[in-house]
Amino acid sequence: MEQKINVLGLGNLILGDEAFGVEAVRYLEANNDFPANVNIIDGGTQGVYLLDYIESADCLLIFDAIIPQEYDFKVYVYQKEDLPAFIHRKMSSHQIGLSELLSIAKLHGKVPKEVALIGIPPISMKMNVGLTKEVQQLVPKAVDKGKEIIMQWLEK
Amino acid sequence: MAKRIVVDPIPRIEGHLRIEAVLDENNTIQDAFSSGTMWRGLELILKGRDPRDAWAFTQRICGVCTTVHALASIRCVEDAIGVDIPTNARIIRNLMNATQQTQDHLIHFYHLHALDWVDVVSALSADPKATSELAQAVSPSWPKSSVGYFKDLKTRLTTFVESGQLGIFSNAYWGHKGYLLPPEANLMAVAHYLEALDFQKEIVKIHAIFGGKNPHPNYLVGGMACSIDPDSDMAINIEQLNKVKQIIDDTNRFIDQVYIPDLIAIAGFYKGWLHGGGLGNFMSYGDFPESDVDDFSSLLWPRGAILNKDLSTIHDVDPRDMNQVKEEVTHSWYSYAGGDGAGLHPWEGETTPKPDAVPKMPYKHLDTEGKYSWLKTPRWNNNPMEVGPLARVLVAYAKKVPMIVDTVNYVLKTLDVGPEALFSTLGRTAARGIECKQTAGFMTHYYDQLVANVKAGDTQVFNNEKWDPDRWPSDCKGFGYTEAPRGALGHWIHIKEGKIEDYQIVVPSTWNASPRDGNGKSGAYEAALKGTPMADPEQPLEVLRTIHSFDPCLACASHILDMNGNEITSVKIS
Repeated sequence: MEQKINVLGLGNLILGDEAFGVEAVRYLEANNDFPANVNIIDGGTQGVYLLDYIESADCLLIFDAIIPQEYDFKVYVYQKEDLPAFIHRKMSSHQIGLSELLSIAKLHGKVPKEVALIGIPPISMKMNVGLTKEVQQLVPKAVDKGKEIIMQWLEK
Repeated sequence: MAKRIVVDPIPRIEGHLRIEAVLDENNTIQDAFSSGTMWRGLELILKGRDPRDAWAFTQRICGVCTTVHALASIRCVEDAIGVDIPTNARIIRNLMNATQQTQDHLIHFYHLHALDWVDVVSALSADPKATSELAQAVSPSWPKSSVGYFKDLKTRLTTFVESGQLGIFSNAYWGHKGYLLPPEANLMAVAHYLEALDFQKEIVKIHAIFGGKNPHPNYLVGGMACSIDPDSDMAINIEQLNKVKQIIDDTNRFIDQVYIPDLIAIAGFYKGWLHGGGLGNFMSYGDFPESDVDDFSSLLWPRGAILNKDLSTIHDVDPRDMNQVKEEVTHSWYSYAGGDGAGLHPWEGETTPKPDAVPKMPYKHLDTEGKYSWLKTPRWNNNPMEVGPLARVLVAYAKKVPMIVDTVNYVLKTLDVGPEALFSTLGRTAARGIECKQTAGFMTHYYDQLVANVKAGDTQVFNNEKWDPDRWPSDCKGFGYTEAPRGALGHWIHIKEGKIEDYQIVVPSTWNASPRDGNGKSGAYEAALKGTPMADPEQPLEVLRTIHSFDPCLACASHILDMNGNEITSVKIS
């Protein structure tokens, strides 16, 4: 059976650079010729409501704003052993983070085979619509890295 | 060895709720303060925008209630510009709203709240055979109840817990003596917890069908954005309607056979713990219009207010009345030009933050004599009000809505308690289940209405009469309401020359989590915590239980203080 690749953009559209993940999947949506088994999803901050998009995926790529331990302003790519076992990332008002979602998926026996995360550190998270110029400039680069990962998955 | 990278939490949307509870020498809560510690100010983002786009921004306020903010927003714009929507649009909106509420309540009960009553670690010592017998007694028609099913679950759960990476089950007080369920009931509840999280994914597929996509379905001022054609592949057709019907039937089955029996079974063990009642004042704007949205007599969830637990008198509520709903800021980090204690109706609302009044981090405790919250202080006729499922159920019960009276009486009779038991944390939790059953019934009702309408040849979903801003009054105001899962939600708009001049939103959690007002009256969370005895202040399970029963739409940091103001513990509520 054809594998299902879900690309999930996380973030709050009205909190400045917090919207990075959402803006990245919007950019990807407009700039790709992937087949139909690649689903591009604006996940917003939907927390546990996103469980289906995680459990239904064979391969899961996430775009999100992150705060890395060593703060360099660049695109971060986490895959395989680089991906923290539990990403203490809060996704919603219910505080359901990726770690919780993955642990529910684990209890359901439905963890994606491949998980990758592409993130940038935000500069401004004030209530505002639109990314800062600096983050906006990183979007195409971040999306290109995402495309490379998707291409690898598609070739498998 | 790969370098370990930590991804820190990033603060979200509604920000954080902080609870400070003051205990007496017997560890009973004497007083409590509720503080929203992050500023929003969405109102300022909307100023100057096209009112027809407002829903797309307001639906991003909240991580989970996208639909309700979109609905309240399009309703307030339609109210302002004076456009009526087609019958199908009303039905589809009601169906989507009922879908959201049903799914949200199910998730709340199992995912957010059940673990305040259910001890996961105790479940590990359950006997699968006894659990199977219990499950078959509680939910006789539910198929997932074999000995093997529970044995397998127990094994999976044991492996999971022993891995030490608790994830969803971390930050809890396993073994706390406030947990009263036997191991078998705990194991059954954990099984249903996982089943509910698996099942809820189906419910919201209805949003994708009618809203074009999910998450973040499409809404439209003047109707809905979907098109209906029973015979077309490009529109909502028979095949999709059949799918909707299947989801609705499965949803009703899950609620009747799993959620309600679980609720009653669990409540049976806790009916001696009737703390957390609080204000005794309740308000509902009502929702689910059967005709025009302004015809309040047609609302399936009725509108009204109850004061001092007096179910014999239902007070009329009019959110357009400049004297009824008002927000003041005596204890909120804002200032009003005309004085902080003078309540302002949302149409006259001001949003002027006063960040200088916010204590600098880290601070030990809040200055509760002065300003102590980013939440404003909404009041109805100067009264603090509780909103949410308990408010809706009580207003409907007091108004003698037949189906609600039947369900409430059934639950009370089965538990062998009187109506006064409803005024409690447990009552709030039971009301959510009662409401969920009712709302799932609405889904069937609206599906039938829609199909009958379409069969009669009516496929109109959009009224374009007032789409063009040139046809709007140059200066107009509107009010849009809905009953969100967490309670009464109002959007008030002022439109000038086709653009948003002012936009004010009063969300349910602002009613419930508000600080004290100028008269010293506590908000709903604050009042509900008073008088609650705590078994162990280091493990404030009782606080979590009561705050969670409101389904707070915030991340909470709860700080327990002793009478001298020393911090005993700090605990995340999530």
